[in-house]
Order: sequence, then structure tokens, then C-alpha cells
Amino acid sequence: MRKRILISIGLIFSIHLIASEESYAYETLAEDLSHPWGLAVIDEKNIIFTELSGNLRIIENGKLNPEPLSGVPEVLFAGQGGLSGIILDPSFNDNKRIYIAFSSPDAGKKTNTLEVVSATLNSGSISNVKTIFKASPSRRTAAHYGARMAFLDDGTLLITSGDGFNYREQAQYLDNHYGKIIRINTDGSIPQDNPFLSNTDALPEIWSYGHRNLQGITVVDGVVYENEHGPMGGDELNIAEPAKNYGWPAITYGKDYSGATISPFTEKEGMEQPIKYWVPSIAPSGMAYYDDTLFPNWTDSLLISALVPGDVRRLKVENSKITEEEILFSDLGRIRDVASSPDGTIILATDGPNGKLIRVIKK
Amino acid sequence: MILNSLNLLLSILIATCLVILQETMSNMFWLISVDMPVTFGVFVSTYFSNLLLMNGGGAIPIVVLIAVGFLIAYTVAKILLIWINVSKANAYALAGAAAIMAIVLLMPLAFYNLDVLAGGRSILGKTILVFFGLVSGYYFGKSLEKQRV
Repeated sequence: MRKRILISIGLIFSIHLIASEESYAYETLAEDLSHPWGLAVIDEKNIIFTELSGNLRIIENGKLNPEPLSGVPEVLFAGQGGLSGIILDPSFNDNKRIYIAFSSPDAGKKTNTLEVVSATLNSGSISNVKTIFKASPSRRTAAHYGARMAFLDDGTLLITSGDGFNYREQAQYLDNHYGKIIRINTDGSIPQDNPFLSNTDALPEIWSYGHRNLQGITVVDGVVYENEHGPMGGDELNIAEPAKNYGWPAITYGKDYSGATISPFTEKEGMEQPIKYWVPSIAPSGMAYYDDTLFPNWTDSLLISALVPGDVRRLKVENSKITEEEILFSDLGRIRDVASSPDGTIILATDGPNGKLIRVIKK
Repeated sequence: MILNSLNLLLSILIATCLVILQETMSNMFWLISVDMPVTFGVFVSTYFSNLLLMNGGGAIPIVVLIAVGFLIAYTVAKILLIWINVSKANAYALAGAAAIMAIVLLMPLAFYNLDVLAGGRSILGKTILVFFGLVSGYYFGKSLEKQRV
């Protein structure tokens, strides 16, 4: 009996915690970066990325252009705010369009908000900058913007909009953009099949709600995965679906930073459960899907960058269940974002005022 | 001296318990408003859990924060009482209120306008917290007056 229990425990751990069987090495692409935040891989030698401090930078033919791209809108660089998420248009090779999310200051006021612009990438600059989304209402805080983006297969754009920290209860109401996933067309218009379009009390851009600070989102075969920071504990990985309520802050697995109970409840009918949550927090900061074969053991895995203690979580999801979990790259410190490159390598952005862009290559 | 210290400690503990009560009520009332099943038992167990975790499981123990605030405010009140002729109860009540006001107003300035005490996010919440500071300070001042009698 005892032996059987030990074998069972062994099997459980063999499924959930797997030691890396891939040998890899790091190659530094760029260093001394000012809070690198969002990555978009154009091809194996060209990467465009944001620095929270307000710079849009580019690695061209494998080398960092020392000059930031010009034409970037004014950003509020304070607290967690600044130039944040970036994504390429699905037809980027033809139209050179990019989308950038950032915290924008309200002119003449002490408030700011999450804004998303589209722009055309030129050599050394961006042009045709057009605002396609501005979160409403504005906030007084400089935290919890979300500010990541992903494209659905129909070409509509999903934008994560965080709860603004002080406004967490607003995540449960549909008359504002706090704690929501937003869905818009790339010109800023509202898709006619958005889930709350017929609800006159709801903002039409809202796609899902009850989120906290969502900093990773990716779409895999039509399935939307998003990860969000919990408070003290309670970080979540969710499968996001239209019109669904993800519960924050009515249900949560975390506590407030003061130690207070935000909610003693972890579940309620009509509110979705995460497919994975982390207590204590890992501070999930970005997400990518790895479908290449350079590292065959990692093929078809979600890669989630984490700030605490600093690593990448590789997760395999089958039928909405985590079947594998592995901790990677734990020797680099806080990792702000992760992306996969067309050549099968993995690109990482380390966090902080002396951040780096690192390529993970086969050893 | 020992009695003064005991009264100071009690004043800090009263403020801590009241601040945590306000934090708990603020969260529970909102949960009730969105139809979460908050019963009296849930309320009480959450309050006691908060008493423990807000003093040992959070970023800063709230009792330490209040103690520092009260020590500074009470010291200033004691000095001012040399020149100003008001009752100790009133002077220390104002000092207690000022200490809590400083905590709820200054903490957000240090954290990009983030209110770490969720119960103090609204003007009403801040007012209640300051009132609790006043009550705790009044208790301390009154206890000093009683000693003199």
C-alpha cells in the first residue's frame, strides 16, 4: 500500500514538474536598456521593442539601433506606467502597421489612462499615428494598466486593460474599462459581434470582465490565454472567452498587500475559475506560445515570463488542464516579456533600468 | 510611567482594531452589494483573520504603522500642551486624528497615489479612519487626565 502511494506521488510529480531536457545557451542581443517591456519579433534578425521610459527601439539585422525611433506619442513614465505593449499587424509584411499600448497623461490634469495607437513603421521612425482606443474613465494612479495585446483569428484586436489598483471593484461593472479585455477593430471601430453590444449599460468595447492586471495574452488555435497578476498571491492563468466574468475582486486566491482579506470567496456560480493559479505570486508579466521544434521538448507550450523570483514558466495545456509545468531561465533575474522567434529561438526581456534582450539558442 | 505606557499601548491597539474593522467592513459591504454570500460568521472570521494578517502577513504591520504615527503625534501634542491651554483629552484626540490622517494621505503619495489601505480609498473611508484616530487619541488623553485626578 505504502509503495503504491509513493509511486502515485512520483507519477504526479513527473507530470507536473519536469526537469528541462533541453540544453540551451544565452546570447545577449542588447543591454543597458531602460526598462524593456514589450517585444514584437518581425523576423529572426529584426525585433521591435518598447522601453517603459518612452522609447521605441529596434534591433535591425541583429544589431541594436542606438537611436530610438521617432514619432512616439508622449507617455506618462511613472510607477508602472510608460510605453508598454507592442504587437505587429497580422499583415505587417504588407502594411508595416504596428500597435502600441501606453499610459498617456491627460493634458492639464493629474489623471492618465491606457491608450492604444496604430502606426506605420518606417526606417528610424513611426508615422500615421492614430489613437484607436483610450480607456475610460481616466485614473489618478500609475499602476495596473494591463497594456498587452493579441489578435484573434478574425483580425480583431484584444487589449488588456488593468483595474488601476484603486478601482478594483470597477472590474465587476460594465460601464468602464477597468479590469477588462477590450475587443476592437484595428481602425478603432467596434466589431458588430462584441458580446455586450446590445447592453445599453455596458461599454461596447468590452469582451470579458472581472480581471485584475493582465500582462500576458496570446491566442492559440482560437483559444485566448491570459495571465494576470493577483494581489499578494492569486496570480492566474485563464482561458478567456467573450462575455465571461473572471471574478476579480469578488473571488480571488490572493490577499491584499496590507494582509487584508479582499474576499474570503474563491468561487461563485457565473464566475470563471483560472486553469492555474499561483500562491505565492510569481508576478506573471508576459506570455508567448512556442510551436517551433528547435527545442522539441518545449513544442506546443505556453511560456509565461515571471518577475518573482524571475524565470519563465513553461506550461503544456490539454483540454483546459495543465499537463506539464517547468521552470526555465531562472538565472536571469526578473523577466518582463517573452516571445518566440521564427527560427525557433526564444527572446527574453529582462526587467529594470539596466534591462537586456536575450536570445535563447540551442547549445 | 508604567500606566502611561499601558494606556499608550491600549490607544494604539484600539486604533489598530478600529482601522482593521473599517477595512473589513469596507470589503464586506461591497461583497454584499454584488450578492456574495457574506454571513455574520464570514464577517467575524474575516475580521479576526485580518487582525492577524494585517499585523503579520502584509507588507507593513498596521500596528507598527499606527504606533509610529501615534508616537510622533502624541510627542508633538505633549510639547504643544506646554503653551496651549486645552484639555489633554482634546489635544490627544486631535493628535490621534492627525496621525491617522497623515498615514492615509501620505502613504499614497509614496506609492503613486495607490491607497494601500483599501478602506481609505474614498473620502468617506478616510473620514471614518480619521474619526477612529480621534477616538483612540481621546481615550489616551482622557486616561492621562484621570491619572492626574
